[in-house]
Amino acid sequence: MKMKIAITMRHLFLMLYVSLFIGVLAGILVKLFLHPHVHFWWEEIPAFGAIYGFVGCVIIIVVSKALGHHWLQKEEDYYEKH
Amino acid sequence: MIEWFHPGFIFLFGAFLVPLLKGKKRLKQAYILLLPALAFVNLLLMSKGVLLSEGKTWVLSFLGYGLTLGRIDRLSMVFAYVFVIASFCMILYAIHIKENWQHVSALIYVGSTLGVVFAGDLFTLFFFWEIMAWASLFLIWYGKTKSAFGAGFRYIMVHSFGGVCLLAGVLIHLHNGGSLAFDSFTWGIGGEYLGVNLIFLAFIINAAVPPLHAWLADAYPEASVTGAVFLTAFTTKSAIYVLIRGFPGVDILIWLGAIMALYGVVFAVLENDIRRLLAYHIISQVGYMVAGVGMGVFGTAAGEMAINGAAAHAFCHILYKAVLFMGMGAVIEVTGRSKLTELGGIYKYMPITFWLYMIGAFSISGFPLFNGFVSKTMVVHASAMWDYPTIWLMLEGASIGTFLHTGLKLPWGVWFASDKPVCEAREPPKNMLAAMGITAFLCTLLGVYPQILYNILPYPVDYVPYAPGHVVAMCQILLFTFVAFWLLRAMLHGTPTVTLDTDWFYRIPGKKGIRFCEGPLMDFTSFIDRNVMRMAGFFKSAFFPLVPKFVENPLDNAFHVRLPELLNFEKIHDKIKKIKVRELSYNLIYILLAMLLLLLFILFMAVME
Repeated sequence: MKMKIAITMRHLFLMLYVSLFIGVLAGILVKLFLHPHVHFWWEEIPAFGAIYGFVGCVIIIVVSKALGHHWLQKEEDYYEKH
Repeated sequence: MIEWFHPGFIFLFGAFLVPLLKGKKRLKQAYILLLPALAFVNLLLMSKGVLLSEGKTWVLSFLGYGLTLGRIDRLSMVFAYVFVIASFCMILYAIHIKENWQHVSALIYVGSTLGVVFAGDLFTLFFFWEIMAWASLFLIWYGKTKSAFGAGFRYIMVHSFGGVCLLAGVLIHLHNGGSLAFDSFTWGIGGEYLGVNLIFLAFIINAAVPPLHAWLADAYPEASVTGAVFLTAFTTKSAIYVLIRGFPGVDILIWLGAIMALYGVVFAVLENDIRRLLAYHIISQVGYMVAGVGMGVFGTAAGEMAINGAAAHAFCHILYKAVLFMGMGAVIEVTGRSKLTELGGIYKYMPITFWLYMIGAFSISGFPLFNGFVSKTMVVHASAMWDYPTIWLMLEGASIGTFLHTGLKLPWGVWFASDKPVCEAREPPKNMLAAMGITAFLCTLLGVYPQILYNILPYPVDYVPYAPGHVVAMCQILLFTFVAFWLLRAMLHGTPTVTLDTDWFYRIPGKKGIRFCEGPLMDFTSFIDRNVMRMAGFFKSAFFPLVPKFVENPLDNAFHVRLPELLNFEKIHDKIKKIKVRELSYNLIYILLAMLLLLLFILFMAVME
């Protein structure tokens, strides 16, 4: 049973890596062959979505957690106590 | 041509029959489901031109003003469609509820929202606006917890404030020579625009624009499981409708909307309550619509794209947000737990709920083939057409956060995260699953055939969502969001905390104010009291030592026995304290009767004229 789960997880990760690769490759191919009309300069970068998705996600998590930790998050009975 | 009948009144009048069907369970359920079906047929007949399909109808004359209850055009029809379709799914989700009055308040809530949508003048708008606030209040109170009660009170206080702003705004607008008709206002800031500004304020309170948004995240998660599903759709989206009607192209909305989209995302990171996390994503998604309204300048191609985008996104949002709240409601229903820190590992008990929820999550994140993709990208595209780079980046960034929370963190924390299930669970009742299934199907249908939606939008649509560039960019964003999530997932575990929001500004000072009255102020008054009595005793013994007993006794009696009896504050206080949840239905009846009387009064006045 445990073995089976391990294999499934490995398969899932393999699928993830393949789709990441396909995603970036598709971006490059679209840029090379279809020349879509773009509005902003950064859309010319073939892997812009990948970079923005990754960096944006990290920034959102880190900034929000910092805000919460230092300022906004309080113990659960905050409104009863104050 | 057959006379038009207001779809909202099917719900409003229909609601009053529900309590009469007491004891006949099946009949009652069939009857309640029939109401949205009837309203939908009504809308279809309108779209086919059988009933009046455009223009104004149900015009009442009231105190010399013409009140338009039915203003029918493409814009009001889009919103009417989605409200009626969503109400069917939501009623199906709630059909097993035994409390009649919960059904009644939900039906009145839906009916009054349709009243807002078809309102052609500002008085009619105000009338239905207020009913909407009060009817929705009971859905919160039916959460039946102490915190639901408190949140409900705060909710209605904010909305009463909004209602007063609207009424004051309308009166000042009329006084300044404005028209009663509800069309787009001339926007400006300052003295002569005071009326318009107040109306705008009332609208953005209901749209939950920060910093006026805290009522939403405060109250929605406290509502009953089924009530919360209704709440997600109507108040904020009817606010978007009135903003499109009254303030298209007001540029301050562009920035408010983009900030809103990110604001909700940041707070969702910190949230531990599963429905409050989703509530912050309502704020975030409504941000796209608000930004869309702001870019919707009349008569420009980009403006028409933006308005179409706002309306389309409202349409799609109502559907996928319903699925998400239904899914989390189902978890609360079967486990009785609502905190991320208390949930985990229950996937094997409720896989169907999980997958239906995920359809909602893919939709809100804007995955290609789901409905969020075909509507959200219209607003983003409009920002590109207007050449607003910062807005474009903010809106795209908000999509990252949306997928991160609703699509990854929340399902991960609720259904997986721990190796062993932390509590017992099972699939929810069949009607709940069916409701989720239908709504999720609609999300996918619109994602695959967006033309169904595009055909009913206010302006002709010149937009291809499935351009290869769009699809690839979106896929890249979402895939790499997943990578970042997986690497940082340890940081995203819920923590047993509450997050301060702008409701702090009325919750804490309010409490402090009451404590000041109970403590120092009472001490001060009793100090004065004691000394006055002492002085009175001194004067009495000094100047009137020989007052006869037959004068003194009755006076004594009157002041020291009768008066305190009459003003028995403790007794009154006890009485107020006894108003508890079980008496909710009585309170609801009083309010409904008052509304009915008001309605009859208006009709009477209209007939008299």
